[in-house]
Amino acid sequence: MHIYLPIAEMSANVLLFLGMGCAVGFLSGLFGVGGGFLMTPLLIFSGIPSAVAVGTGAAQIVASSVSGAIAQYRRNNVDIKMAVVLLAGGVVGSVIGVKMVRILSLAGHFDLFVALAYVTFLGVIGALMLIESVQAIQSARSGTPRAGRRPGQHSWVHGLPFKMRFHRSKLYISAIPPMLIGAFVGFLGAIMGAGGGFIMVPAMIYLLRVPTNVVVGTSLFQIVFVAAATTVMQAVENFSVDIVLALLLIVSGVIGAQYGAAAGARLKNEQLRLLLAALVLLVAARIGWDLVTTPAELFSLTTTLGAPG
Amino acid sequence: MTRRRVQHWRWLGLFAAVASAWGMNADGARAQTAKTPDATIPDFGQPLRKQKSDRKSKAKDDGKAAAQPAERAADRPAPAQGKEAVEADVSTRTIAVTSAFTGTEIVVFGSVVNSRQSSPEAGTYDVIVVLEGLEAPLLVRRKTNVAGLWINTDAVSFETAPSYYAIASTRPIEEIADDAFLKRQGIGLEYVRLAPAAQSAAETKAGDLKSFKDAIVRLKQKEGLFIKQDYAVIFIGKSLFRSSITLPANVPVGPLTARVFLFREGELLSTFQSKVRLERSGIELWLYRAAMDHPLYYGLGAVLVALLAGLLASMPFRRKPAT
Repeated sequence: MHIYLPIAEMSANVLLFLGMGCAVGFLSGLFGVGGGFLMTPLLIFSGIPSAVAVGTGAAQIVASSVSGAIAQYRRNNVDIKMAVVLLAGGVVGSVIGVKMVRILSLAGHFDLFVALAYVTFLGVIGALMLIESVQAIQSARSGTPRAGRRPGQHSWVHGLPFKMRFHRSKLYISAIPPMLIGAFVGFLGAIMGAGGGFIMVPAMIYLLRVPTNVVVGTSLFQIVFVAAATTVMQAVENFSVDIVLALLLIVSGVIGAQYGAAAGARLKNEQLRLLLAALVLLVAARIGWDLVTTPAELFSLTTTLGAPG
Repeated sequence: MTRRRVQHWRWLGLFAAVASAWGMNADGARAQTAKTPDATIPDFGQPLRKQKSDRKSKAKDDGKAAAQPAERAADRPAPAQGKEAVEADVSTRTIAVTSAFTGTEIVVFGSVVNSRQSSPEAGTYDVIVVLEGLEAPLLVRRKTNVAGLWINTDAVSFETAPSYYAIASTRPIEEIADDAFLKRQGIGLEYVRLAPAAQSAAETKAGDLKSFKDAIVRLKQKEGLFIKQDYAVIFIGKSLFRSSITLPANVPVGPLTARVFLFREGELLSTFQSKVRLERSGIELWLYRAAMDHPLYYGLGAVLVALLAGLLASMPFRRKPAT
């Protein structure tokens, strides 16, 4: 069963993409991540032009985050003020990112840049998560409690101006770091077609010291808006949002995520993190492999006609 | 130039055939020709060509238009039979790219007017069918290894390259016609019209340029967009031939041109041209136009659809215990 994708300009196997959406949805539900960082590389491997994969990924993230964000909001796990600050930075970062996609596409380096971004960030985050989860599992075995967050602990982050009070997060910090984090994640989201939760969450925990229960909700909440803004900008700047492809991925992804979440409830937190770390490193290694091995075909074609303007 | 002359011969041949069928006691073969509705033959062809010939004869002389070619045909030491010509058409003039589009097949068929072929297997005639897509600018990039990473470093831009190019022939084209002709007409994968942009051409070495051109052909062939099929044009009668050409699902949307060349013993007898319209239709067209003409509304719509789809798809799971 095939369907013609109007923007990707190719006939796609519906079952393949539904299966892909389901699988990524399952993993994202299992690990509680957005799944964009898995979806975009998979789309590129399956022959979708990388610009379209990234643009369509943004639309898919809107859909996969919205129900989670609403659920978190109902449970009062969203620090709205923090989300707005992150969002302000995120939109700026996204604008720059979308422009970068255009510039890099024209120069012929977009694929390379996406691959490098993936290898770098997935590699670093995966390695950190791996170390952290192994330590957690070890300490859980030996029975020694690990040092949790100590309130009142200060770092250079807390010395910056424009201090704001974030009631829900019980923080009184400068608005600059969250804004910068938001901008950075927004930029990466636009380039990598990922929501950036895998960067946003650790950054909020370790740099801003936002309480863990608020982190996921706030991150999800702002991701919906940043991804929505990115989708619109990708459509306007790069004509690269394929709504038919997005719908296939959304429907299957949301369903897969429900089963993933149910399965995740049965696993221990440390084990989950270890598995996620392994998965992240695997994706990074796979993309990195393509960068260094001699490609079978050195030439590539780009039709310069197509997107007007 | 060649084509115009050939066209002229065709008309001469036609009139000769009509005249001979009219005047003389036609033998079997000619009787067959006479039975073909001569008056309607131009309608088989592309309307444009018909108009062109009409215009031409009108320009000459309104009154004598019919008489003149007949006279000329009489002057010519014409063989007993009329000159051969090819009449052809495509099975589908308009192909709609809908959401169910998975590629299609175009049958190019035609017949040799005044065929002297004794049987379909006789091989008196050779036919080459060329189906060409829209010419579009193309950028070819080449990766080289920079500090361990494979990076696009060189690029050659081509002002025009056919987005799709298929050749079918009764025999390998090299056996049918000489290189000079093939090159002139742009027939054959090595003679596809690829015009490098002046700047790129100046910057790239000749040998290098060839490797870029080869890369286009190789990559397009791999994508199924450049096709060469020897022995794919088949005669099914003394004069009737057909050939089916595959249009893959990834064929760039745009008009296609079908050209048919008729040869006998390496000599070009006649050509024919027809157009195939390949266009988006239905929801595909609507979505494409929306995305290209109104990208802002399309983007906002995409977000709205994504939000709704995300909420709706998760609705059935709402009552399950939260994780």
